[in-house]
Amino acid sequence: MINFFSETWLLWLLLLTGGSLFWASRNSQYFHYVFNRFLMALVALLSVSIIVFSLMEVLPGDCAEKWIAYKSTQGEMITQADIDAERARMGLDQPLPVRWGEWVTGLTLKGDLGFSCSKRQSVNLALGDRFWLSFMFCIAGLVLAYVIAVPFGILSAYVLNKPWVDHNPQHGSLKRLLNTLGLGLAKISDVMLRIVSYLGLALPNFLLALTIILLYVFAGEPTPTGLFSDEWRSEPWFNESGFQWGKLNDFLGHIWLPIFVIGWAATALQLQTVRALVVDESSKLYVDAARARGVDGLSLWAKYPVRHSISPLFNSVGFDFQRVFNDLPIVALVIGLTDAAALLIEALAMTNDQELAAAILFLVALVVISMNFITDIVLAAVDPRVRKSVMGG
Amino acid sequence: MLSISSIFRGRAARQTASQDDAYYTAGQFALIKARFMKKTAGLVAGFVLLLMLLMGLFAPFFSPVDPGIDGADESYRRGAPQAVYFWDQNGFSWRPFTYTYVKDQPKTDFAALLQGGGGLAALDKLTSSGALNASSQNKYTVHEDQRRYLQFFVRGWEYSILSIDTLGIDIRWDRHLVGVEQGMIHLMGTDEDGKDVFSRTLHAIWVTISIAIVALIVKLFSSLLVGGVSGYFGGRVDAVLMSITEAVRVIPPIPIYLACAVALAQIDLTPTQRYFAIAVVIGALDFATLGRRLRTHILVERTQDYVLAAQLSGASHMRVIWRHLVPSFGSYIIVDTLINFPYVILAETSLSFLGLGLTEPVNSLGVLLQKAQDPDIQQNMVWQFFPVAVFVALVMAFVFVGDALRDAADPYSERNK
Repeated sequence: MINFFSETWLLWLLLLTGGSLFWASRNSQYFHYVFNRFLMALVALLSVSIIVFSLMEVLPGDCAEKWIAYKSTQGEMITQADIDAERARMGLDQPLPVRWGEWVTGLTLKGDLGFSCSKRQSVNLALGDRFWLSFMFCIAGLVLAYVIAVPFGILSAYVLNKPWVDHNPQHGSLKRLLNTLGLGLAKISDVMLRIVSYLGLALPNFLLALTIILLYVFAGEPTPTGLFSDEWRSEPWFNESGFQWGKLNDFLGHIWLPIFVIGWAATALQLQTVRALVVDESSKLYVDAARARGVDGLSLWAKYPVRHSISPLFNSVGFDFQRVFNDLPIVALVIGLTDAAALLIEALAMTNDQELAAAILFLVALVVISMNFITDIVLAAVDPRVRKSVMGG
Repeated sequence: MLSISSIFRGRAARQTASQDDAYYTAGQFALIKARFMKKTAGLVAGFVLLLMLLMGLFAPFFSPVDPGIDGADESYRRGAPQAVYFWDQNGFSWRPFTYTYVKDQPKTDFAALLQGGGGLAALDKLTSSGALNASSQNKYTVHEDQRRYLQFFVRGWEYSILSIDTLGIDIRWDRHLVGVEQGMIHLMGTDEDGKDVFSRTLHAIWVTISIAIVALIVKLFSSLLVGGVSGYFGGRVDAVLMSITEAVRVIPPIPIYLACAVALAQIDLTPTQRYFAIAVVIGALDFATLGRRLRTHILVERTQDYVLAAQLSGASHMRVIWRHLVPSFGSYIIVDTLINFPYVILAETSLSFLGLGLTEPVNSLGVLLQKAQDPDIQQNMVWQFFPVAVFVALVMAFVFVGDALRDAADPYSERNK
């Protein structure tokens, strides 16, 4: 019995979630919407799995050939019949839909991502914590991007049509001077940040990473590639004297590079998006109406255009994650990381490991789709405009 | 006083009225052009971009040296950039000149190595003397007393300006903008084969741009197909196509390009075919965003009267989509395509950087950027970073022009003023 449940736990979890959502949706419009979104997310995941799995078929070679090739390096004589037998044993002689069906069944029943040929173990084991590492990289890069881009994007939109000098006759001369200074500062920081952000768009991530490494080389310092320096790599996190702070220090000294590199491009793009969103909102009639009512200055901006541009921004978190992960493999290659993105590139370009590559891509899509699902339902709960549009009042 | 001001006001009003007429009757493109002309940053970037494109398109004319292996300077491998001067301590000259750069030929005497009894000790001595390491191979002497004057419109290697194989047209020319009296001029130095970095970069610009153009055209067609069919037919077709699009949208594209590039590497292709195959792959998989937007637009437009009129007069589905619905969205499509240029270029570079796009003998910016990975180049041949600078400038120019165009094409941007 326990064995049966441990073999099919994920399916029960999914069914339970779906069932409880369905139950709640009988007399709540909001949960009806959530239930619909849940079903749509599942359908999207299913189509992602089809696309990913069939795309990976273009990679040359298959598991049986690789296993046999490995054996032949061990000095065994191999015939075509051996390859065919091995293929039949691994189930690779089945047509694509059957193999996809098996893969998806294993996935939905117990979260089994398949078998990695090059690692000769299950994908779940081969990936291990590496996916979480990549995930944390992307999240940290995104957080960096948002922390910089949101305030400065708003600032940039704010100073867009402002003059450099405050000429308002209603203000006293001291206030005018202060305003002018403030405006000048804001304008200059806006211009600088825009230049930086254009550079971020134009300079590919791998070049940025290379440049930073190059600076270290010229300075004669050890380059912060990888995750740890040699002396800390084999040390455990905890020893007799408790937590090893030195290891954490070393880790942080290395980890900032990938986060900074992927964060910069994301910041550049985010800055443009925030600016465009706020500018768009600030030219709408309700802002004019508020201004006519006498709301002015910071409270006008914070309450009207900024508040309204937060929801589309929040809604795009999932796709931002996808964009950041998109850049990660090449950066990982340049910096010499050993996370899932590096594994993905290895599986795609070097070992042609179809199931491993498909599994990593599927996991990324899973994260994006669940983020989209969460942002959708949170927005529907929080933002009255979204609630109205999706639930018809 | 009053009458004068009223006259002025009247004239002003009349003027704005005629301006308004021009404004309201102007076509979409005229409006975009007028708005674009007001943007200084966009205009400057556009000028720079045009200049770079022209230099890329007529690269053989602008480059002083043949970028291929035929033009490689055997006696000046790994050579430093040769500066151009108007004056020095020997006086001023109207005609710019450069000095004679002579590469020290490595004086490694392998015969002596053998004579002295050979063995590892002698080899060790040779290695530790530094004669073999990279920085000693980079040494050169400048003969400041031997000026080489620059010549313009100089006769050099022959190239074809315009060549269409199918029509048998092949216009050839052998004039170049710059050259020197003796030998070759290497404005940005040479690489380890003696190929001129400046000329290679100029040739690479057009290769990269043409990949982007092919990719964008393919992208345009794939998104028109998906968006047009999905929006026009609606219903079940729409649902299926959109769920596929949605699924494609969440998968990171570069790994997918990678998989396709690996698959392409298995097929035996000539460099040209490979080049187009990569462009087609990049374009064909990038339909999600534009396709969705087209679909939304067509969903709105398809209930309009002119579509009904076309349908009633017996137009086929394809004709309605292509001749009636898509043109109504034309300016947006073109602007979107232009905005996407830098991203496509970045995709090509990423692939080439991994060694899966174009490869070495081809001059593409990605191939040249890939060299920046080489520690030897990083430490001993910094001038090979020139393509990086050109690349960044090119993408920046595209981004600025794209930004200005996006603002210009936005019909609501007028209200911001």
